[in-house]
Amino acid sequence: MLPEPPSRLSLRDLLSEALSGILQRPGRSVLTMLGTVLGIGAFVAVLGLTATATGQIGERFSLTKATTVTVTDRPSTDGLAPGTNPSSDFPADTDRRMSAIDGVQAGGVWWPVPGSPVISRHPDGPGEGTGLSLLAATPGAVAAMEPTLSAGVTMDDFVQRTAQPVVLLSEAAAKRLGVSRLDAQPAVFIDHVPYTVIGIYSDVRRQPAALLGMVIPASTALERYGNPAPDADRGVQGLVATRVGAATVVADQLPLALRPDTPNAFTVVPPPDPHSLQDTVTSDLTGLFLALAGICLLVGAVGIANTTLVAVMERTQEIGLRRSLGARTGHIAAQFLAESTALGTLGGLIGTGLGVVTVVGVAAARDWTAVLQPATTLPAPLIGTVVGLLAGLYPALRAARTDPLTALRSA
Amino acid sequence: MTAPAAEAAEPPVIALAGVGRTHPGRPPVVALHPCDLTVHRGEYLAVTGPSGSGKSTLLHLLGLLDTPTTGRYELDGIDTGSLRDRDRSTLRGRRIGFVFQSFHLLPHRTAEENVVLAQVYNRSPRRARHTAALEALHLAGLGHRTNALPGTMSGGERQRVAIARALVNRPSLLLCDEPTGNLDSANAEAVLAQFDALHAQGFTLVVITHDPSVAARAERRVTIRDGVLNEAEAVQPAGDAR
Repeated sequence: MLPEPPSRLSLRDLLSEALSGILQRPGRSVLTMLGTVLGIGAFVAVLGLTATATGQIGERFSLTKATTVTVTDRPSTDGLAPGTNPSSDFPADTDRRMSAIDGVQAGGVWWPVPGSPVISRHPDGPGEGTGLSLLAATPGAVAAMEPTLSAGVTMDDFVQRTAQPVVLLSEAAAKRLGVSRLDAQPAVFIDHVPYTVIGIYSDVRRQPAALLGMVIPASTALERYGNPAPDADRGVQGLVATRVGAATVVADQLPLALRPDTPNAFTVVPPPDPHSLQDTVTSDLTGLFLALAGICLLVGAVGIANTTLVAVMERTQEIGLRRSLGARTGHIAAQFLAESTALGTLGGLIGTGLGVVTVVGVAAARDWTAVLQPATTLPAPLIGTVVGLLAGLYPALRAARTDPLTALRSA
Repeated sequence: MTAPAAEAAEPPVIALAGVGRTHPGRPPVVALHPCDLTVHRGEYLAVTGPSGSGKSTLLHLLGLLDTPTTGRYELDGIDTGSLRDRDRSTLRGRRIGFVFQSFHLLPHRTAEENVVLAQVYNRSPRRARHTAALEALHLAGLGHRTNALPGTMSGGERQRVAIARALVNRPSLLLCDEPTGNLDSANAEAVLAQFDALHAQGFTLVVITHDPSVAARAERRVTIRDGVLNEAEAVQPAGDAR
């Protein structure tokens, strides 16, 4: 045993030695940190942006989806001559039955008008509108689509009850047919029959197919074109707009409310559970980006390991000197480990800062609400610490193993 | 700052008994043949010899940077043969002050910070370090350049910083390896004068050199040739009688 206590390197001395090692070469330290900065910055930014974007999807996308219920009908074709369309299972007062259900804002039926009618601006026109989708819809279905009218009025019960020859044009259709003003009560000709244009809509919240076409009252379509086709693509559909949160309950009640005698005639499609939908989308994307962030971190770790190793080799003389001043192998290892760990932590802090700035910047540019999960953002600098610690292990071991004799000789 | 005066009961600073060093290999290379050497407290010893003679091997053994293959080395009466690496490090930091040919100063630290570094590992209280460093720098004749960086200093000044660093812990032994090897004659003279002064204050110095004029300043000299250590005839420099 020695008369004196063994050499020691206090924590404070260790930290100040490590810090001065980093500050000696600030430029190199910054470059060394770069990988960690990028990796952790990407990590924080990806998680933050995904959370932020998901928040937006939640607000816009699913709100419409979560309040939409569709009903499809497959009427039987048994006993009918081929080419003849069966009559729909929807009762004539579908609109009223639907809106009677608590939670329903509007509802009705619609279908694409069968055949391919010639649509033109003039009685014997060239059919410049042919190919635009022509939909038949009850006033309730039109209301459920929630059209944004840019001119005129929407369909009401009167035109349905009396099967008026009127039409609602989408802006695309109006442009194609050359209809811009409604004050002269313009008409378009469908199969050479005039329909008065009562309104033009610029947008719909539901049934975006209607954006490229026009809508005539369901009763008018039935009168002139007969029953809708029974197939899935061109068949009759019920469209219901519900209040937020009511969709599932409404979906349960719809078949019975429509046809208490044969509720099984309908297939009701409630909205998908918004949460499960978002979760799958998010987890796929997040997984991909996080993998990229992980690769960045790996590159960062290799960078730190490399630079620390170079530093160890450059500083063999310093290692020898410290050993001659009483440093034990453990002190040498601790010093280099502390340097790499401090570099990693510093990189982690800077990266986290940049990541947060990115998320907030993107959110501000897009008028979004920035969403940062504290559970992932706050520990992010610690990832840098771990990266630095792991990256420093091998160089520190090399430094500790340096023979003081050789280190001092390499002058 | 003075080293304690030699007492009769005190063990010698260095006591080598049959210490030798052989490098393993085929054939094994004998770097230092078994030798005996005793250095008492306050002595000023020069080890001379041509390059490749085994001087450095002896320095490394004395500095606990290397272990002898045979024999027994006692430093201040402590048998160093049975010590583990951590204890050898402790002894190095506490009882030996190294002065190297190439100074080994950290380039980004001031003279004072370089001296403070010598106190980091030996449990010196933080507050006392700067006072001790300044005191050592004054002792080494560098009281006016405590905040200078090594890059702005002359070779002689740098070596005096290294000397201050070596003696700040009041070691039992100052071990100097070619201390004037990188210096011009004027600076070398200043450093040697410094050694004389330290010797006069009672420090124990072992200087390893190939330069006879450096060795001539010491009160006692040994030579190494082909790994064999020989006590040279004692020369008593005028006015330095002991």
